[in-house]
Amino acid sequence: MTLGPSALLPLPVAIPLVFCAVMLATAHLLPGRLPDILATLAALSVAILSGMIAVHAADGPLVYWFGGWEPRDGVHLGIGFGVDAASGWIAAFIGVLYVLTFIFAWGFFDRTHGHFHILMLLFLAAMIGFCFTRDMFNLFVWFEVMSVAAFALTAYHLEKSALSGAINFTVINSLAGFLMLGGIGLIYAQTGSLDFEGIASAVGRGGRDPVVAGAFCLVATALMIKGAIVPFQFWLADAHAVAPSPVSVIFSGAMVSLGLFGLAKVSAVVFAGSDQVQHALPTLLEGLGSITAILGGWMALLQRHMKRMLAFSTISHAGIMLTALGALSPAGTGGMLVYVVGHGLVKGALFMIAGILLATRASIDEIALRGLGRGIGPAGFAMALAGLLLCGLPIGVLDQGTRLVQGALWHQERWIALAAGAIGAGLTGAAVLRATGRIFLGLGPDPGDEGGAPSEDEREKANRPLWVMLGPCCVLLAFDVGLPASLIANATPEAASAFMHQPSVSAKAEGPAWLTWISVALALAGAGYGLFRTRLPKLVIRPLRATQSVPTRALELLHSGLIGDYAAWLAIGVALIASILAVS
Amino acid sequence: MTPRIRVALLALAGVVLLPGAAAVITGLPPFGATIAQYGERINAITPEARHVANMVSAINFDLRGLDTLGEEFMLLAAITGTVVLLRGRRGEGNTERALRRPGRAVIPRSEAVVLVCRIAGPLTALFGLYVVVHATVTPGGGFQGGVILASGTLIIYLGEGYAGWRDAVRSHWLDGLEGGGALLFTLCGLAPMLTGAAFMQNIMPLGTFRDLMSGGLMLVENLGVALAVAGGFTQLFLEFMEETREADELDEPGEESA
Repeated sequence: MTLGPSALLPLPVAIPLVFCAVMLATAHLLPGRLPDILATLAALSVAILSGMIAVHAADGPLVYWFGGWEPRDGVHLGIGFGVDAASGWIAAFIGVLYVLTFIFAWGFFDRTHGHFHILMLLFLAAMIGFCFTRDMFNLFVWFEVMSVAAFALTAYHLEKSALSGAINFTVINSLAGFLMLGGIGLIYAQTGSLDFEGIASAVGRGGRDPVVAGAFCLVATALMIKGAIVPFQFWLADAHAVAPSPVSVIFSGAMVSLGLFGLAKVSAVVFAGSDQVQHALPTLLEGLGSITAILGGWMALLQRHMKRMLAFSTISHAGIMLTALGALSPAGTGGMLVYVVGHGLVKGALFMIAGILLATRASIDEIALRGLGRGIGPAGFAMALAGLLLCGLPIGVLDQGTRLVQGALWHQERWIALAAGAIGAGLTGAAVLRATGRIFLGLGPDPGDEGGAPSEDEREKANRPLWVMLGPCCVLLAFDVGLPASLIANATPEAASAFMHQPSVSAKAEGPAWLTWISVALALAGAGYGLFRTRLPKLVIRPLRATQSVPTRALELLHSGLIGDYAAWLAIGVALIASILAVS
Repeated sequence: MTPRIRVALLALAGVVLLPGAAAVITGLPPFGATIAQYGERINAITPEARHVANMVSAINFDLRGLDTLGEEFMLLAAITGTVVLLRGRRGEGNTERALRRPGRAVIPRSEAVVLVCRIAGPLTALFGLYVVVHATVTPGGGFQGGVILASGTLIIYLGEGYAGWRDAVRSHWLDGLEGGGALLFTLCGLAPMLTGAAFMQNIMPLGTFRDLMSGGLMLVENLGVALAVAGGFTQLFLEFMEETREADELDEPGEESA
C-alpha cells in the first residue's frame, strides 16, 4: 500500500538497528576490523537514504504510518513519521558525521568486540528516529535511547573523571527524561492524542489552558537540557570533556543541536495553536539564548583543558541557535537549521583535532602542549581554519547560517540577541585561536611550573596513522567551506516554512556584513590578549584584569561538578520558564 | 555552593512552581474521568481487527509497535553499556569461565536449598514460557515472560553456586539470544515491507479470538522480545555477579561457593 518515496522512511532507522542486532549476536565471532567496516557501511547507507528522502520531501512532506495504521475519522491510531526537507537534510548530515567519525575512530575501539559500534549505531538510529517522528511518545522513546547509549559511551574510558562526568550526565539527562514524560502525560490527558497534528489541532481549539502551558514547560525544559541551555548546561562540559574524542564529535556535532531541533519542531508544530506559549517564546528564547551565548563563550576562554573549552564553545553556539528560534519566523528557523549543520561540521572537526592531540601528543592541556604541535602542522592549519570559521569568517555553511540568523534578528530589531551572538562567537573563536597559537606555534609565555596539567593524565590510543585521523577532519571542514552557497540559499526558505508548517514566504534577509567581522576581530583580539598579555603595557592590563577576576571566579564556583548544585539550578530553570509562561 | 544555599534555591524554585502546578492539576480532567478517545477507539477496533484479547499486547506489538522496538533497543543499549563498563576493567579475554579469588571461603549450599532450587527452577522457567506464549490472550507477554525466564536462571545460581551457574550459562549464548531476539523483532518490521505492506504491518493469518495462536505477526514479535529480554537480563545478572567477585577489598568475607 505504501509505495513510492514514503516507503523509504523506516529504513534509515531500521538499518542501523539490524546491523547492531547482528553485531551483538555474533560479537565474539567477528574478526578485527569487521565492526569498523560494518558500522561505516550502516552509517553510509543512513546518510544516502536520508539524502534521498530529503530530495523527495522537497516537493512536500512525506508521511508514513507504521503498521499501516492510518488515521481513521481524524483519530490518529498508530505512530507516524513525517519528514519535511529540513528534517531529511539534518538526518543526512548526521549520517555523514557518523561515517566520518567511524573512519576517525578506525581501530580505536577493538577492546570490546564491537560493543562501541553497537552503542554508536543505536545512538545513530535514535537520532534519525528523533528527526523523523511525528508522534510525541515516539519522540520520547528516541530521546531516551539517545540518552542511554550516550551515558555508556561517555564512561567508556572508565577513569575516575570519566565516570563522574558520566554520572552527572546520566542524572541530569534522566531528569530531562522524567520531565519530558511528565509533559507528554499532561498533553495526552488534555488532548487525547499523541500525534503532532492531533495535539496541535486540539491545542488550537482549546484556548488558554494551564495544562498545555505546563506540558510545554516540561517538554521544553527537557529539550533545553539536551541542548545545554543556561541554567541546564552544567552536565555538558563534564560529559564532553571526558568522553572519547569520537563520541565527543557526535555529542557536540549532533546531539546537543538535536535537542534544539526538537524544541524548534515542538514549538512550531505542536504548540503552534497556543497563544500563551507563542507569546512567551520570544522573551524566553532570546533571554536564555543570549545568556547562554555569552556565558559559554566566557567559560570557553577560561579553560586550559581543550575538550572542556570546546564543550563550552558548544554551549555558546547552542545559545546562538536558541536566539534564532526566538525570532519565531521561517527566516530565523531556517538560519538555525543551516547553523546546526555548519556548527556540527566545524565543531566535529575541532573535536577530531583534540583527539589527534590526545593520540599523538598524549595530552589535552593547552599549556602543557605549548609548542608540541609543531610536528603535525596540517592539524594546526585545520584548527586555525576551524577557529576562524567558528567566530564568523565569512565563508562556508556556518557563516551562511550565521548571516541568516542575524538577518532574522536584525529584521525584528532584537539587538540584545544580535550582540550576544556576536560576542559569544567571538569569545569561542578567541579561545580556539589562542589554543592554536600556543600549541602549534609555541606562542605565549613559557609556562614554567604551570606546564603540568592539573587534570588526570589522559591519552588515547596512538595506533592509527595521522592521515586516518586528519582525513575525516579535513573532509568535515571541506564540507563546511565547499557546499555551494546558492544551493542552500535556494532550498532554505521553503524548507524552513515546511518545517514550521507555515505557508512559504520568499522574503530572505541577511544581516549586515560587518557584524561577522566584529566577531572575527573580537576573536583575534581575545586570542592576542591571551597569548601576549605579558608584553602589553600595565596600563592596559590592570583594568582588564580587574573586570575579569570577580565574574570569572563566580562562574568557576558555579561549575562545581556537584550534582546537587546542578539539580538545584535545573529546578530554578523550570521555575523561570514557568513564570515567563505564567505572565504571558 | 553550600548545602544550605542549594536547599534554599530548590525551595525558591518550589515556591515559584507551586501556583503553576496547582493550576495544572485543577485544569486536568477530573480523577476517574472517562478514558480518552484514543483508548476507546483502540478498544473498539482491535479485537475485531487483530483477533486479540489482550489490548496491551495489541498496542505494544501492533498499533504502537515502533515504540516497543525503540524500547527493546533501549534495553539493549542499557545492557550493552553495562557490559562495556563492567567488563572493561576486567578485560574481554576472561569472559569464558568464572574468575576465582583465592582465599575466599567456600560455603557449600545446604541440601534443602539445592532441592528447592532444583524444583523451583524448572517451574519458574515453565511459568515464564507460559507468560510468553499467552501474550495475546492474557496479561503478560514477551517482556514479562522474558524477565521471569531470566530469573529462572538466577535460581540455578542460588542452587548450584556461582561456578555451576557459569557452567550452565554461557555469555556468548546470551549475546546470541539478545541480539538474535532483537534482530527477529526488527525483521518482523522489515519483512512485511517486502510484500509492499507497511513496516510492521500485521500481514500474517490472525487466528481465532482468545486462542493461543491469535494475533498473527504479534506472536513472532513477542517471541523476539522474549528471547532478547531473557538473554539480556541473564547477561546483566552475570556481569553484576562477576563484578562482586572481583572486588578489591580482600577482607570482605566470602559467601560464594566455588
